Amino acid sequence: MKPSLPLIAAATILIFGALAPVIFSGEPYVLYVLTLALCYAIPVIGMNLLYGYTGLVSLGHMGFAGVGAYTTALLMKSAGLPFVPALLTGAAAAGFVGLLVGIPCLRLRSHFFIVVTLAVGMILFTLFNNLDPITGGAEGLPGIPRPQGFTLGSFVVEFRSVSGFYILTFIITALVFGLQVLLVRSDFGRALSSIRQDETLAAARGVNVFGHKLLAFVLSAAIAGVGGAMKVLFLRTAAPLSFELQESINLIVMLILGGAGYLIGPIVGAITFVALPEFLRAAAEMRLIFFGFTLLIVARFAPRGICGAVVAGTRILSRKDKNLVRHS
Amino acid sequence: MSGILDISGVSKKFGGIQAVDGASFSLGKPGIYGLIGPNGAGKTTMFDIICGRQVPDAGEVRFHAQRIDGVKPYKLAREGLARTFQECRVLPEETCLNNVLFAAQDKRLGSEVLQAFTRSATARRSAELEARRLLKLIDIERYADDPASALSYGQRRLLEIVSCLMSKPRILLLDEPASGINPTLLNTLHDFLVEIYEETKIVFLIVEHNMEFIMSLATEIVVMHQGRVLAQGAPERIQSDKNVIDAYLG
Repeated sequence: MKPSLPLIAAATILIFGALAPVIFSGEPYVLYVLTLALCYAIPVIGMNLLYGYTGLVSLGHMGFAGVGAYTTALLMKSAGLPFVPALLTGAAAAGFVGLLVGIPCLRLRSHFFIVVTLAVGMILFTLFNNLDPITGGAEGLPGIPRPQGFTLGSFVVEFRSVSGFYILTFIITALVFGLQVLLVRSDFGRALSSIRQDETLAAARGVNVFGHKLLAFVLSAAIAGVGGAMKVLFLRTAAPLSFELQESINLIVMLILGGAGYLIGPIVGAITFVALPEFLRAAAEMRLIFFGFTLLIVARFAPRGICGAVVAGTRILSRKDKNLVRHS
Repeated sequence: MSGILDISGVSKKFGGIQAVDGASFSLGKPGIYGLIGPNGAGKTTMFDIICGRQVPDAGEVRFHAQRIDGVKPYKLAREGLARTFQECRVLPEETCLNNVLFAAQDKRLGSEVLQAFTRSATARRSAELEARRLLKLIDIERYADDPASALSYGQRRLLEIVSCLMSKPRILLLDEPASGINPTLLNTLHDFLVEIYEETKIVFLIVEHNMEFIMSLATEIVVMHQGRVLAQGAPERIQSDKNVIDAYLG
């Protein structure tokens, strides 16, 4: 059996991603942009699980990311907890808030559910912005420490430098991506997919629709929490504006741009969305206009995102190959 | 005496309309049963109540002596109650093979998550042989790796039925299987249903409008009229029953 296209794409991205600090060693700015893109890719993976596979749209996902971010930031800054337990607690906190929101709201029909998630995102933003004693209010929480480095024999691993933190973000993204692969390519993933395709049929086949949706929502919120935590650790400050409505909408745009329902869709989407405006800097003030046009073109000609367009393209090419063989 | 499926005194009201009005019938032994009646007789409501889509206002439904009225559809499915839909539902994006395999999958949340982390494929692999045999039975094994949306309507209907069989049901409920099927395929469907009945020997309960189809297929017919059960018996007896003729013509 020849290796499948997604597998090749995933391997390429993995190798390129791991080598990025070497390739761009003289250009910290590129690494900076890539790190930021990965910080977005993580919550987009969570969104992919929810929207791409289960078919639920959440307009408040950056709110959950914020819960994970503030929890991790406070634990590291005030309680002095090390990185890994702080990050896991942050994810658990985001997942717990997801659970609290999901239990009453997931019984609602699709568009009502979207409206509720919108409201939840706004409530969470308002809390971040106004709970001054905890979150620092609009000024945010500055001075969040970067994770402690460690030494492996004579090899020093540190996360303070741009490339060091990039590697850390890359590893976390790879782990979350691995989790996504495990979940999607399993009986659980197939059940989620059946809910997206036909909820009534899924129930008639024995799928506990509410239970599955709830677990998907909680996992998705927890993954978003990890992404939020990485983002504030990278920027070294937690500010409410990082978790406002516009950011939540950006997550959805990234997912659709990259390709919802494709494993690497979130990565492709986040990198394109974050990096493209940066590389369009040559166009100066016009760059956001160019960017807007790019999004329009994708929406018009590649409704299933970049990944969808690539898959469709290779299908056409392979069909041509077969025809050539037959006619020669 | 308790049979396989016992309906006793079931009533259901929608606003001012009494859709089902104290209906009782019992399916005692395996067989192909037809549930018929003129429009508005309450067949669909009855069907929905048995499937767990509607909760009756009064009365009870027992499946192997266990009460199942008001039990959620997904729990009924896990208890071995399989159903097809009038509008024919399959998973459009999944391949035909995956559609059938999905029915066999253990859908308890815990075992699914466990499967995700152990990546155990034994259950799936052992089910695949049976799934391919079923696809062969309905003559679409060459489309096994094509999405179900590529099939014709009639083929999808057959796929839906074999998917139900894959879950090893104890009772199979079919909601108007003959609707929208062309006459040639109707004969295929007829023979296919007889064939799988001979193989499974479980209760088939079929709601149907096509009289010719159901009369030649079923071993026993239940007739509903105005929310009540008017008659139950062999097709020949039903066809000459005066009350039934009055209900259909009157």
